[in-house]
Amino acid sequence: MSGFLDGIRCGDCECNVDWGERRNTIASIAAGVLFFTGWWIIIDAAVKYPDQGQFHHAYHTCGVIATVAFLMINAVSNGQVRGDSYSEGCLGQTGARVWLFIGFMLAFGSLIASMWILFGGFVVPQKPAVYPGIAVFFQNAFIFFGGLVFKFGRTEDLWQ
Amino acid sequence: MAGIKALISLSFGGAIGLMFLMLGCTLPVSDKYWPLFLLFFYVLSPIPYCISRRVVDDTDSASNACKELAIFFTTGIVISAFGLPIVFARAEVIAWGACALVLTGNVVIFGTILGFFLVFGSNDDFSWQQW
Repeated sequence: MSGFLDGIRCGDCECNVDWGERRNTIASIAAGVLFFTGWWIIIDAAVKYPDQGQFHHAYHTCGVIATVAFLMINAVSNGQVRGDSYSEGCLGQTGARVWLFIGFMLAFGSLIASMWILFGGFVVPQKPAVYPGIAVFFQNAFIFFGGLVFKFGRTEDLWQ
Repeated sequence: MAGIKALISLSFGGAIGLMFLMLGCTLPVSDKYWPLFLLFFYVLSPIPYCISRRVVDDTDSASNACKELAIFFTTGIVISAFGLPIVFARAEVIAWGACALVLTGNVVIFGTILGFFLVFGSNDDFSWQQW
C-alpha cells in the first residue's frame, strides 16, 4: 500500500501537438459548428412557429441564398484566384474571380437581408413573436461567419 | 493486448451510450421513440472521414481540402445529433429529462467513435485487416 500514488504523474502528457498543423482542422470544425448551428436555429424557429402569419415561409429564402453563397465562396481556392495553381480550372483566373465576387455579394446580401427581415418584418410591425426574426438573423450571421472561417481560417501552404 | 483492451473499453462506451439513448426513449413518463432517429446520425458520422481517408492518400501535406471538407461534414452531423433532441424537447415531442439523457448518450457515443479513430485509425496503410 505504501507509495501506490507514486506511479501517478500529472502533466506528463506527451501531446506535442503542432498547433500550426492543426489550424486547418480547427478552422474546419469551427466553420462546421457555426454553419450547422445556424441551420438548426432556423429549424427550431420553424418548428415553434409553423404558422404563415407568425413566420412567413418566404423568409427561408435568405438562409438558402446564404448557403449557396457559402458553397460558392468555398468552391474556389485562394490559389486559383491569385493564379498560381497548377491547373486553370473550368473558368480560368478571371472566372474564379468573378465567381468569388458573386459569392461574396450573395453572402453580404443575405446578411443584410436578414437584418432587414428582422427589423422590417418583425420589429417595426411590432409582431407579438419576434423570435422568428431573431432566428433568421442569427441563422444568416452564423452561416456568413462560418463561411468566412472556412475560407480564411485554413491555410493552403503545403509546407510550413 | 493493448488493442484488445482498447476495443473492449470502446465497446463498453458504445453500449453505455446506447443505453442512455434507450433510457431517453423509455424512461420519463411515456414511451416516445422519437430519439431513435439519432441512430441515423451515429451511423453517418464516421462516413465522411472514412471516405476522405480512402480517396486521398497524401498524408505528408499539411493542407488537404478533402479531409477538411470531411471534418466539416462530420462536425455538422455531430451538431445535428445535438440539435435534434433539443428541437424535439422545445416542440414538446419528448420531455426535457429525456432530452438530457439523450444528449448524455450523444456525448458518450461520439467520444467512443472519436476514441475508435484515435486508437485504431492512425496508421499509414489504412486497411481493414488490423488485428
